[in-house]
Parts: sequence; structure tokens; C-alpha cells
Amino acid sequence: MTRHASAVLRTSAFAALPVVIALAGCSSSSGTASGGGSAGGSTSFTLTYAKSNNVESPFEILAKEYMKANPSITINLEAKPNDTYGDSVRTQLQAGNAADVIETEAGSGQSRSIVPLAKANFLEPLGNTAAKMIPPGSEALFQVDGKTYGQPLGISYAGLVYNSKAAEAAGITAPAKDFDQVKAACSKAAGGGKSLYVLAGSTVPNAGITSLIISATRVYADDPDWNKKRTDGQTTFAGTTGWQQTLQTIVDLNKTGCFQKGAEGAGFDAITNNMAKGTSVAFFGPLGSASELQKAAPDQKFVAEAFPPATSGGKAFGIASATYSLSLNAASTKKDPANAFLNWLADPDQGDLFAKASGGLPISGLDKLDLSTTIYADVADILKKGDYTALPNSGWKSPAVYDALATGVQGLITGQATVDSVLKSMDTAWDQ
Amino acid sequence: MTTSQLPTEAPAAVPRRRNGGGERTPRANSLLKLGQWWWAVPGILMVVAVHYAATAVGASMAFTNWTGIGSFEWIGLRNFQRIFSDPTKLLALRNTLVLAFASVLLSNLAGMVLAMGLNRILKTRFILRTLFFMPVVLSPLATSYIWKFIFQLDGPLNSILEAIGLDSLVRPWLADPTWALWAVLLVVVWQNTGFAMVIYMSGLAAVPVEVEEAAAIDGANMLQRIWHVTIPALRPAIAIATTLGIVNGLRIFDQILALTGGGPANATSTLATEVYKQAFTLGNFGYGAALALLLTLIILVFAVIQQRLTQGPSET
Repeated sequence: MTRHASAVLRTSAFAALPVVIALAGCSSSSGTASGGGSAGGSTSFTLTYAKSNNVESPFEILAKEYMKANPSITINLEAKPNDTYGDSVRTQLQAGNAADVIETEAGSGQSRSIVPLAKANFLEPLGNTAAKMIPPGSEALFQVDGKTYGQPLGISYAGLVYNSKAAEAAGITAPAKDFDQVKAACSKAAGGGKSLYVLAGSTVPNAGITSLIISATRVYADDPDWNKKRTDGQTTFAGTTGWQQTLQTIVDLNKTGCFQKGAEGAGFDAITNNMAKGTSVAFFGPLGSASELQKAAPDQKFVAEAFPPATSGGKAFGIASATYSLSLNAASTKKDPANAFLNWLADPDQGDLFAKASGGLPISGLDKLDLSTTIYADVADILKKGDYTALPNSGWKSPAVYDALATGVQGLITGQATVDSVLKSMDTAWDQ
Repeated sequence: MTTSQLPTEAPAAVPRRRNGGGERTPRANSLLKLGQWWWAVPGILMVVAVHYAATAVGASMAFTNWTGIGSFEWIGLRNFQRIFSDPTKLLALRNTLVLAFASVLLSNLAGMVLAMGLNRILKTRFILRTLFFMPVVLSPLATSYIWKFIFQLDGPLNSILEAIGLDSLVRPWLADPTWALWAVLLVVVWQNTGFAMVIYMSGLAAVPVEVEEAAAIDGANMLQRIWHVTIPALRPAIAIATTLGIVNGLRIFDQILALTGGGPANATSTLATEVYKQAFTLGNFGYGAALALLLTLIILVFAVIQQRLTQGPSET
């Protein structure tokens, strides 16, 4: 009996581990609290941001510029790994030891998104300066009950990062203008020993953004308010022809051999390697990565292109949104110096500096900008006319919907899922 | 068992502490008694607070809709209803059980064969034991990344298959819905076999050579000796190896996260990876806690059943 009891206790101890792990992850916290303070006449505050490589972050560049202009201010930088950034910030906010200024994301589709954090009273409302920086039509992504909780910093265009030299080498003289031309280009690239697109099919971010970029022309070009209709229950993913066409396009791209071999199991390394070597012509993603690729492969030439509409008569439409934003921790004891930093960032000069450092576009004055000599030349019309939508998932109910989409894309390529089953899983994730 | 062969001697005449040293006063004795249990209190409190209370709080989250931030509501068994109505979670449950039982079976069989083969006779047995045990001490995460490289489309495995003319078998093993789970299983078995081998070797050390020799003289062949002499003697080792194997098998996490991330399209997801995904990636802490609680109960049930099944008749 004693032996049985002790065995049960031992196994119970082992069995309890998963719950404890969950708790440990929930309660663990690292980093400093609203660190710093006034010492010797100087003021300090903390700034936390996501970082995914060794390249100097735009936030580091801006912080250094600010400290140079304001020697009495010290900004303590807290870089966090990009893949766990949202969870780390949420844990610290919950524990009360988050940084004073926090990198956030527009909308509600991610764990670092502004809306759920603001609704949980973790963010401090910002002033009019921040409100004026919100791109028209994107207010719902930065505001809750009329109050602004995030200050956008720059516009990020998401489309095709296109290697024009690799395209030339494959005999592709001009980017496709409709889907038939895309399929012809796929065959041409395959004939030249390349793939038209490289896809990191095993990663949620790349599989997801690929379908979002295609959805710009299939869904949001004709119905820019589709997200609102879905939120109001007036439509569903499964019941929308545009979404069916979006996923069918991915199936067709795969069948035509537009993706590289083994796309379903590929990671981000496949994108870096194929694009730098020129063995693939383009990939779906944010154009900020083009500048990093250009540094890694100076012999190639990376530019922005839009994924074309289904037919040549369709409307060219893209995705551009104020992805990066900064918010103020409601529990911060350094709100004044932190606010002064945010006000300084609102200056157009700082906007240009951020755009240059991040490889994106400035938050304001996009319509007056001369893009003809930049990597955005081929999508300049889309940007100037405002023919773009914010990243669709930033207006989705929860990260689970985007996860269902990305997982579904991998399933479409492996044959585990159908267009209908993926769309139904997205609706299920939305409704829960 | 060796323990049953120990001579049953009368206990040594050790004086009882209470009465030993007749010079102690009644007051000193009562203080000592008090101290005996008081000394354990800090440790007990720590264990209760850090382990059991934390576990209970975590388990209670399974009945809420907490997102990791802000307030939450008590929603009863809704999270569990959601688990059992979601095909992806049922697939994760199936994968968890398949991986746990298949890895226990295969790693224990391989471990037992290796232990018997390397028990005596072979001169190189010490080097071979070290080589077979080495995967156990290596980080599961690090070795999984090496295996990921091996399984890649342009990795060594496919290169070998191409070189020997088996081009039709070339595939992205970890992204193939049919093969991904078995590739993960192979890595898990490879890593766990050494541990089972060591447990069985310690068990074999307790099997008297004389008994085996006697069986051989009585005409038992090798298989009969293994079945009727070695295996019964290994029963305690089997109990330990399989219990630990099941518990660890049900909690497999590192290898899957590194090899497949639960893909392709959830084909290799398990309850442990789903706990991580729901709680820490998607911010569904309540739902993640429900999955964790379910996993805990499954581990508890199977560990207890397994303990009962492997107990010898003398211990009941």
C-alpha cells in the first residue's frame, strides 16, 4: 500500500509538470522594471522592441539619435527575440515590470497588438500628436473608445520582393500583369532551372502573408470593408468568393510548379538562400527585408512588385500598413520623458530616419513622395493612389484566425486540406 | 530478486533515540520531538507553495477564458468541450499516444537487446555502451536540429537514396504528412534507447550467473533462458524504464518543436505542443491550461496503470 501510494505520488509529480510549465512561463519575468530614474540630474526610461537578427534595429538608431540630441536623457534598450516578443511583453505587463515605451502592432490580430492591450488597461492614452499620425481609415487599429494607444512610425509595404536580375537570367522580361502571365513565368523560370517564387511553407508568418498578399486583389480590392463585415457577422471566409479564389490561387501556383521543390517543409533559410543566389525570382513578404537581402547579395537587384489580379482587367491593389508603432505603458513612472520621446518621433525628419533604417516608407506624405528612383518604383502608382489596404489580419479577431490560415496553406500544398476546409477552420477560429 | 535473498537477521541492537542516553531530561526530549517535525516545515511549505499550490492554480485556469492579460470569466467545462469537438486537438491526442507508446515499445526493446548484447563477453562493450548512451546526454533540441538537416530535401538521407538509385523515395521527410510522425518517432527512439539500455544493464547485473548456468545445464536454450530467467529478473528494471518512458513519451515537446513545429498542417502536433501554441503563441491561456490538465490526467492514468501491470506478484 505504501509502495503504491508513493508510486502514485511520484507519478503525480511528473504528471503535474505540464501545468507547472504553463505557470512558469506565465509567471516568469526577466528584464528590468520601469528602470532607471533621475540620477545626477539625468532622466532615463526603458524602451523594449522585437529583434530578429544582428542588424541594428531602427529603434536603436532612433534612441541613439534622441540621446545625442538630449544628453540628459538615457534610454535603456531592451531588445527581445521577435518570435516570443508578444508573450514576453504580455507577461511583463501582467507582472507590472514592463518597459516604459513598448513596440506594439496595429489592430488586434497579434499578441503584441494595441487593441487587446489597451482594452486590458495596460496602455496609456497618447495625445493629439500621436492621433494625427494615424493614416486615414486606420483609426480602429490604433484607437479604443476614441483614445489613441499607439503611435505609428512608418508604412511597410508587403508584396513581392522581386530579384530583377534573376528574372532576367530566367528570360522573364517583365513582371506578370495577370494570373495567366504568372503561370507562363513559372514555366519559364522552371525551364531556366529556377522557381518563380520561394515559399517558407513550414513557417506561419510566410505562409500567412503569402495568402494575405494574394487576398489584396481577390478580396480587398473590391471590398475594402470586408473585415468590418466579418466582424459584424455579415459574411464569412467560407462564403466569400474572393477568399476561395485566394486559396485556389495558391493551389494553382503549387500545381503549376511556381514554388521551389520542398516548399511545404522550407523555412526562412530557403528564402534567404534562394533569393541571394538567384535560384528563385521572388518571394511574398514585407519590402523591409529587401534592403537586408541587398546587403547580403550586392550582385543581385531587389525591387518591389505587386502580385497581379486574376485578369488583366482587374484592379492592381496592394498591402501597406503602419506596422511599427510605439505605446506607453500605463504603469510607467516615466511618462513625461517617454511622451517627450514620442513627440520627438512625430517630427517628419525622424519619420524619414525610421523609414530609411527599417527599409519602409515614411508615415506621412506618401502621396507627394517621389518613388521613381527607389525600389518602390513599380508599385508607386498603387501607393500614391492609395490602392492598398492595411495588413488584413491586423483587423481580425484573434491570432488564431491567422494561424488557421497559415496552417491551412501548408495543408493545401501537402494535400492535407482543401480550400473549403481551410476557410471553415478560419471561420471557426474567428467565432471562438 | 536479490533483495529477497538477503539473510533475515534480527535487527541490530541499536538503542532507540528516545531512550538512548539516559541523562536527557524530559524537557530536552520534548524539545527534540518538537524540533524533529518543525525542521521540515520550511521545506514542506516551499514544496506546497511552489509545486502543489502553483499546479492547482494552473489547473484552475482550465475553467476560465483567460487570454494571458486582463480579467477572465469562469466558463465551466467549455474549454474541454472545445477540445473534444476540435479535430486538430483529437489528432494531437492521437499523436501523443502513438508517439508515447511506440517510443516506449521500440526504445525498450532496442535498449534491452543492447543491454543483453553488451552485458558480458564483448571486449569492446565499454566503448559501445558509451556510444549508445551518448544521445541521452546530448540536448534533445540540438540533436533534433541535426536530424532536421539529415531529413531535409537536400539533406544527407535523400542524397544517399539518390546515390543508390532510390530516387522515388526522395521526399521532404518532415513535411510529408505520411512520414513526418515516423521521422519524429525515429529521433525520439534514437535518443531514448541509451537510457533504457542503462536501466536494463543495471537490472542484468543483479541476475546471478549461476542461475543462468543452471538453466543451461537443464537444457534451456538461449531464448528459453531469456524468457524464463532473464526477463523475470528484469521485472523491476522494466517497470522503471517503461514508467519513465511513458511519462516522458507523453510529454514529448523539444524534438517536435525543433523538427516540425507540429506540422505539416498539424500532422505531428501533440498535446504538449498544443499547450505551448495555445498558451504562449495564440494567447489562449485558459484553453492551453485545459489541454495541460488533460495531458496531466492522461499521464497520471497511464503511469498508474503501467505501474500496476509491471508489479511482481511478491509486491502485491
